[in-house]
Amino acid sequence: MNRKIILVGLNHRTAGVDVREKFALTDVESVEKGLLAHCPVLECLCLSTCNRVEIIAIAKRVSEREALDSIIEYWAGICGGSPSLLIENTYQYTDLDAVKHLFTVACSLDSMVMGEPQILGQLKDAYRKAVEEGAAKTIINRMLHKSFSVAKRVRTETAIASSAVSISFAAVELAKKIFGNLEGTKAMLVGAGEMAELAATHLLQNGVQDIIIANRTLSRAKELAKSLNGEPIQIENMADRLHEVDIVISSTGSPVSVIKAKDVKAVLKRRKNKPMFFIDIAVPRDIDPNINQLDNVYLYDIDDLKEVVEDNMAQRQEEAAKARAVVEAETATFSNWLNSLELQPTIVDLVDKNEEVAMRELAKTLKKIGPVDDRTHKALETLVLSVGRKCLHEPICFLKRRTQEEGSAERFIDLARRMFNLDDEDVPSTAHIDRKMKTCSPEDIDSLIDVSKNKEQ
Amino acid sequence: MGLFEIMHILIIMIYSLGTLLFLTGVCTANDRLKKIAVWVAVAGFTLNTVDLAAILLTDSAAILSGKFYFNILAWAVLGVYFFLWWRLRLEFLAITALPLALLLFVTSMALDGIVVIMPPELTALFFGLHIGTLIVTMGMLIMAFGAGVAFLHYNRKLKTKAGLASMGKDIPSLDKFDRVNSLAVSYGFPLYTLGLFSTIFWYWIAPDKAYTWDAMKIVSLAVWFLFAFLFHQRLVIGWRGRKPAILTIWVFIGMCISLIHHTITFKALP
Repeated sequence: MNRKIILVGLNHRTAGVDVREKFALTDVESVEKGLLAHCPVLECLCLSTCNRVEIIAIAKRVSEREALDSIIEYWAGICGGSPSLLIENTYQYTDLDAVKHLFTVACSLDSMVMGEPQILGQLKDAYRKAVEEGAAKTIINRMLHKSFSVAKRVRTETAIASSAVSISFAAVELAKKIFGNLEGTKAMLVGAGEMAELAATHLLQNGVQDIIIANRTLSRAKELAKSLNGEPIQIENMADRLHEVDIVISSTGSPVSVIKAKDVKAVLKRRKNKPMFFIDIAVPRDIDPNINQLDNVYLYDIDDLKEVVEDNMAQRQEEAAKARAVVEAETATFSNWLNSLELQPTIVDLVDKNEEVAMRELAKTLKKIGPVDDRTHKALETLVLSVGRKCLHEPICFLKRRTQEEGSAERFIDLARRMFNLDDEDVPSTAHIDRKMKTCSPEDIDSLIDVSKNKEQ
Repeated sequence: MGLFEIMHILIIMIYSLGTLLFLTGVCTANDRLKKIAVWVAVAGFTLNTVDLAAILLTDSAAILSGKFYFNILAWAVLGVYFFLWWRLRLEFLAITALPLALLLFVTSMALDGIVVIMPPELTALFFGLHIGTLIVTMGMLIMAFGAGVAFLHYNRKLKTKAGLASMGKDIPSLDKFDRVNSLAVSYGFPLYTLGLFSTIFWYWIAPDKAYTWDAMKIVSLAVWFLFAFLFHQRLVIGWRGRKPAILTIWVFIGMCISLIHHTITFKALP
């Protein structure tokens, strides 16, 4: 076997922030170049985020230990740290364990906030850089493409990323349950705290049209209004403007209630009972809890929101089991592909596929010409099988020659497998966005052959 | 077995399949299954339309039989549902529309014994206004009933802070359920009024007919008053959410009682 997949990494679980800072790879392109130049690796990819650093490499014909040691030494060297410290804080995986770990990372099962979507984007960026550097070749290409599709499958088939796991996202999700689409709704910030600002930002990103910022200090309200593109008002004028807004986020430092139930009752009358959503993130609370008893008014305080977040976290943990099963199954599929990168199984697959086509075409012909005796049947069968095999002589010979060259075996075998579609893969219609949409049905190919032949003549 | 019987069995099978697929889709949170269920319902609705047209073309006297009315009511429920699906993208209400369409269609098969006394004069007025408007109103009320129950259930979950997970990710917002109620009340009440008073008008202009008050008419009028109150509160006072949802459920129950009462009365007639 020519290749050995190696993965070395550290994350928020294995290393503290000081170690993560020390061994972060700020310039991954040059690290990839360096790894290819100084370590016995054929391909590599580096991922460096605030919570993890991962190096994936395909080792040359050397021992696993030798490849691992050289990567660790190189990594420690460029970061100016000791290799022993790095070894203490890293995990190391090889072959299918490495593949499984990569899939787990891509699906965000290994993230600090399980199910968060950022890691997939970071992995895609890292892959793009590796491709640009020429560091990602046959195996890493396939591994990363597969990891993206596994992540997509996990997101579609499980609810791992469907629920909000931060206070501000929970507030947005709850608002959507009340108003549906937030387009055209109006919000008010009462008090200009940091958390309220974050919640307001999320609401604006989700379609809230206008925002009013009511604060005791008008200058701070103006400052925040500038960044949120809202309207600043003095907190004393808040009651007069309350009927205009659908969502109220309160976070003042007031020791007494700022918004009382009887005031809201009057506001509702002015609004003709249009629903209102109050989010109270202040401690002590700003909003009279009795307003939740009013029809068409919904009040969530900080503890309620925390409870929502905890529920969602628990739900994500349940979904993680389903996601891990998907990762297991996809790792097994990847393992089949890895094994097929040997010449012998590819030859068997090529011949099998050709024989299948030959027999299918023979069956069609026999149907057309009607019943034939056994001898003729046998002769026809031998004929089609032999034509099929003869057609493969040259491609097999070519593959055999190429696989004797260092480092090119996987590339050509993979190419042959894709050319003859030996893995029965479906190419999605969006796979090549910059190419003309053409169908590849047998009829299309037949007519293409006819047109090409006629042109030649 | 005749062509009609085969078509009826086919419609029942399609409605059953749609109901089963939609309920499974809701239980397993499978969007694909729910979409398939809605398209199955479209197929059932198309066949139901063909069936109704065939009944009218082959035997115009069929409109005198009770089974025809339950058949057309099943059709109207799905018609209103498809309208809401198109206007509000409210796939969720199939949970009410599909089982009820199935139930009404199956009931229509079992109501062979009932004969509707069709007044000989001004049949078009009686049939077009009275029956037509009441059937559409009933279809709307069935949808508003489903939306009302859903609104009360999810409103309670939001008020009691039951958590986002318990509300399901594909459940429409409270605002959508309330909009169904608003549509049903805004269009349903004028239609019901038209349907109800067209009978009185018919009595008034038909020769040798005197309008008499009986229990059937009193129940219908009581439902009308309840519906009128809901219409007023919703459109004039500005009721929204929980109160109109509860009142719509009561109006729907009243309509059901009135419908059952009509059925019993018709059955008792010689």
